[in-house]
Amino acid sequence: MRFEVIAKCHTTKARVARMTLAHGVTMLPTFMPVATQAAIKGLTSNQMEALGVTLILNNTYHLNLRPGLEVLSKAGGAHKFQGWDRNLLTDSGGFQLVSLSKFTVITEEGALFASPFTGEPTMLTPEESISIQHIIGADIIMQLDDVVSSLTTGSRVEEAMERSVRWLDRCIVQHESSGKKDNQNLFAIVQGGLDPSLRDRCLDAMIARRDGVAGYAIGGLSGGEEKDVFWRVIKQCADKLPEDRPRYSMGIGFAEDLLVCVALGVDMADCVFPTRTARFGVALTNDGPLNLKLSKHAKEFKPIDESCPCPTCSDMTSRAILHHLVTHETAGAHALTLHNVVFQAQVMGRAREAIIAGTFPDYLLSFFARYYGDAGYPEWCVNALRSVGVDLLEGSPNAKIVAGSGTKWEYASANP
Amino acid sequence: MSQSSLSFALPSPVRYGPRLGTITLRRGADTASSIIIATPGLLASTSRGAVPHLSRDHVRITDALRWVNVPFETFLEQTPPIPILHAQHPSNASNPHPLHTFLGFDESRHLLSISAREPTDTREMPPNGNALVCVHSLRGVRKLAPAEWAAYARIAQPDVVLALSDTPCTDAPYSQKRLTKSVERSAAWLATLLRPGPIPMPLPIPKKLKAQPVAAAAPAQPAVALPPTPPVFVHLAGLTSLPARKAFAASLLEPLYGPHITALAPLKTLDEGVAGYTIDLAPLKAALSALPDTPSPSAAAVSPSEDPEAHIAALLRASLTALPPSKPRLVTGTTSPHEVLRLIATVGADVFDARWAQRAADVGVALDFAFPVRGERTPREIGHNLYDVRYRLDFGCFSDALPAPHTTATAPEAGTPTCPCAACAPRPPPARLYHGHDAPSVSGEPEKDPARVLPAYTRAYVHHLLHTHEMSAHALLAAHNLAVLDAFFAGVRGVLSASAAGVEGGPVEDAGLFAKEVRAFEEAYDPRMGVLVEAEAAWRAVDTARGKGRLSRETGAGEGEGVAPADAA
Ligand SMILES: [Zn+2]
Ligand SMILES: [Zn+2]
Repeated sequence: MRFEVIAKCHTTKARVARMTLAHGVTMLPTFMPVATQAAIKGLTSNQMEALGVTLILNNTYHLNLRPGLEVLSKAGGAHKFQGWDRNLLTDSGGFQLVSLSKFTVITEEGALFASPFTGEPTMLTPEESISIQHIIGADIIMQLDDVVSSLTTGSRVEEAMERSVRWLDRCIVQHESSGKKDNQNLFAIVQGGLDPSLRDRCLDAMIARRDGVAGYAIGGLSGGEEKDVFWRVIKQCADKLPEDRPRYSMGIGFAEDLLVCVALGVDMADCVFPTRTARFGVALTNDGPLNLKLSKHAKEFKPIDESCPCPTCSDMTSRAILHHLVTHETAGAHALTLHNVVFQAQVMGRAREAIIAGTFPDYLLSFFARYYGDAGYPEWCVNALRSVGVDLLEGSPNAKIVAGSGTKWEYASANP
Repeated sequence: MSQSSLSFALPSPVRYGPRLGTITLRRGADTASSIIIATPGLLASTSRGAVPHLSRDHVRITDALRWVNVPFETFLEQTPPIPILHAQHPSNASNPHPLHTFLGFDESRHLLSISAREPTDTREMPPNGNALVCVHSLRGVRKLAPAEWAAYARIAQPDVVLALSDTPCTDAPYSQKRLTKSVERSAAWLATLLRPGPIPMPLPIPKKLKAQPVAAAAPAQPAVALPPTPPVFVHLAGLTSLPARKAFAASLLEPLYGPHITALAPLKTLDEGVAGYTIDLAPLKAALSALPDTPSPSAAAVSPSEDPEAHIAALLRASLTALPPSKPRLVTGTTSPHEVLRLIATVGADVFDARWAQRAADVGVALDFAFPVRGERTPREIGHNLYDVRYRLDFGCFSDALPAPHTTATAPEAGTPTCPCAACAPRPPPARLYHGHDAPSVSGEPEKDPARVLPAYTRAYVHHLLHTHEMSAHALLAAHNLAVLDAFFAGVRGVLSASAAGVEGGPVEDAGLFAKEVRAFEEAYDPRMGVLVEAEAAWRAVDTARGKGRLSRETGAGEGEGVAPADAA
C-alpha cells in the first residue's frame, strides 16, 4: 500500500489522501458500499465501477459459507469471482460470527461456533481468519478481534480489548509468513468499548505494532451507544492514531455521521444502510431521506435530485414512477440503489474537494444547514464539530438543537 | 403533434408460411432516426412499466430491447392514471413521446406499445360489460371503458396501442353465444378506438364495478381535441370457435354502416384503421384446456387433445383466411422456441413476446440455444438451471451456443456469434462518474477503454447469487436471456433469407432449408422445457415468500441476515 496525505483542513482534523493498492487508487476520505455476498444489491460490478466507486467491502463470514473457499480459490479470488477489478476490503468474519451465530464461545484460541450447515463445532482462529482472507484475496484484510457489544460493561470489555491485541500479534505473524504482504494489507482494529482509558491502552499497544499493520480501524462502536459518547471515542482514536496510516470507522453510513467522522480525522467508512434502505424505498438526498413509498410522491414528476449525476437522476426518473415501482419491482430498488451509492460518494467527494480548496468548514455549515433545515441540529453533531473548531450555530445563534441521535427520517416507523 | 409513422414491409406476403419482414417506425422526416425491427423478431414484456430486473442503464445497453410492451392496467390503480397526468403536465406540452419519457425508454431506440391487460394473465376475472373491461391492478379489479382507453392512448402517445378485446376470463368453456358476444364487443371497442375527433372531457370514468355503460352514464361534456390515435393493433377474437374467429375477421372487413360511416370517416372498414394483428395464446390455451375432450363437429379437423399446436394453428389460420396478409402479426403467450418456430412455419407470425425467456431469468435459468443448431446434435436442454449444484464450480459463460467473447475458461471458436449482453460482454463504461478530487489527473489512472470486453460473469457466480438471494443474478440473466432470444430470431431470419435466395425468385414458403433446420432444432433441444420446471421448483424452495410482488421475496434476505440452506444435492 502507498498512503499519501495530500491535503489537510486548516481547521478540522479532516484530510485528503491517495491510497494506492493492488487494484488501483482510492481517494480518501471515502465511503465503501457493502457487497456482503459478493454483489451490491441488484447491481453488477460494472455498474459499480461506472458509478465511480473504487473500493467495496465483502463479508468474510458470508463468503466462507457461500460460495466457500474451494469456489473462491478455483475462481482465482473474490475479485475475479465477482468481476470486480477495483479495490476490495474484507472483514475478519468475527463480527458476524458473534452477531449471527447463537452459540459462539470466545476462547483464547479463537471463536468456537456451530457450523450453520452441519452444526459441528468449528473454530475460527486469528490465523484462520487471515488465511481465509488470503484466499479471498482482498486488498485490505482485517485482523480477527474479540468483539463485544458497545453496550457491554465491566471486565469483559477489558478482556476483549487485551485479547484483541494478542490476536493482532497472531494475525501479524500469520500475515508476515504468508507471502501475500505485497498485495494484501492488514488493518488492526482498536477496541476498548466506551472507556477512554481502555481505548488509550489499546491505542498504545496497537500503535506499538505499527510496523506490522497498514492501517487502523476503530471498532466496537455503532452498536446503539449514545452518539455523544460515540464521537468522543472516534475523536480520541483519530487523534492518537499515526498520521501516516489510514483510519477506518466501521459501520458508519448516515451522512451526518460520515461528515463528523471525516472532520475528526477518519478516512474510510462502510455501512449497509444506503443499499438496504434503497430496497425499502428510501432515497438519500441533501435535504434528508425521501421515502418514496409515501403517496405524496405519487404525482411528483421531478427526479429525486436534479443535480445528482447518478443514472437514475440524470435520466430524469421521476419520483412518481419510482413510487409506482419501489417495493414491487426489483428495477425500482436498483434505481434507488444506484442513486444512494452515488449520494454517499458525492458527500465524500465534496468533502475531498472542500478540504483541498480550504473550504471544508463552510461545506460542513452548508451541508448541515440544508440537511437539517428547520428540524434542528443534533446536539452531538454541534458538540463534535465544535471540538474541531467548527460551530454549526455560527451566524444563527437561535438555531434549534435537538437531543438524541438526530437521524433524519421521512416517516415515524424507520425501517433502515 | 407526433410525427411518427409505422410501416411493415413484407417482400413476399405469404399468408400461412414463414415470412421475412421489416417493421419501420419513422420519427419525423429524418429517416436516419427510424427504428427498424426485422421480423421474425421479439417483443419484450414489462411489469409495472419496467423491464423486469433491468435498471435504465441496463435497458440502454440491451440491444435486444427494440419493441417493448407495457400493460397499462397497473397504472389504473389511480384515476386519472399517473402516466396520463404526466403527459398532461405543462412540462410535457411539447413532448411528442411523454410515455417514453415517463418510463425511461429511448424514443430513438424503443418502439413502445401499450395493452390494457398483461396478455398472458389468465386469472379468473369478473365478466366484462358491454362497454367495460375488467383489468387487474394491485388494488384489485378495475373497470376500463373503451372511450377511456382511446383517450389514454391519444394522450400518452405510445407508438402502438393494442385495442381492447373482450376476452372472457370467467368459467371456461365458453358457449357459442358468449363467443359471439365477445366478437361483437371487440369490434365495437375497436371502432371506439379508431374514432377520430374530440373526446368528452373529463372522461366519463366508471367508479364502481357495476357502473352503467359509459354512453348512458356520461352527461354531455365539453369535448377536447387530442392528438390522433397511435397505430392500432387488434386482437383476433373468437377464441376456440372457428365460426367466431371467421366472424370477427369478417366484421373487420365488412363496409362500415350506419353512424360508423361518418364517425370513422374516411375509413371504409375497421381493418383499414388497423396496423397489425395480435394473437394472445394464453387465454386461447386456457379456453382449449377447458373444452370437453371430444371435438365438436364444427371445430378444426384436429382435436385439441390430439395435437394442440396443430389445433391452435388451424384456429389462427381461420382468423387470417380473409384478412390481408400484408399486416404484421404479433403473438403473445408462447412458451418455447419450438412453439415459436412452428408458428412461424405454419401460421406466418412475425413478432413474438419474450415473456417466457424473461420468466426464465426470474427462476434462475440461463438460456443456451441457437438457431440454426451448431455442432453435434445430442439432445439437450434449452438452458441451464443455475440453482443446480453442478454449476458450483463452473466458471464458463452462461451459454455454449452463444458464448461470451471473453471468458476466464475457454475462448469461443473464431467466427461463432457471441453473446453481446451485459453479463457475457461487460465493458468499462464510456464515462464513469467522478465525485471530487478523484479524476484521472489526481489518481494518475487513465480511463479504461470502453471498447475493451471484460471477462464474462460465470455460471458459478450466478449459482452463488441465486443461493444467496442476490437480485444481481436476475439482472444478469434477464439481459442474457433477451440477447439469446434476439440471436435466435436473427438466426431464423438468416436461414429464411438463405432459403429465399436459394429458391431462385421463389416464395419463401417453399423453403425446405428452414423446415430442415426446424427439424434439427427439435431434435437437438428437448421440447418439454424441463429445465424451466426444475428451476421453478428450486426457486420456490430457496425462498417461499411469494405473492406480494417481485421484490418481496428478495428483500427478506438482507445483508448480514442469515444464510440460505446448503445446496440440495
Ligand atoms: Zn441520483
Ligand atoms: Zn449473454
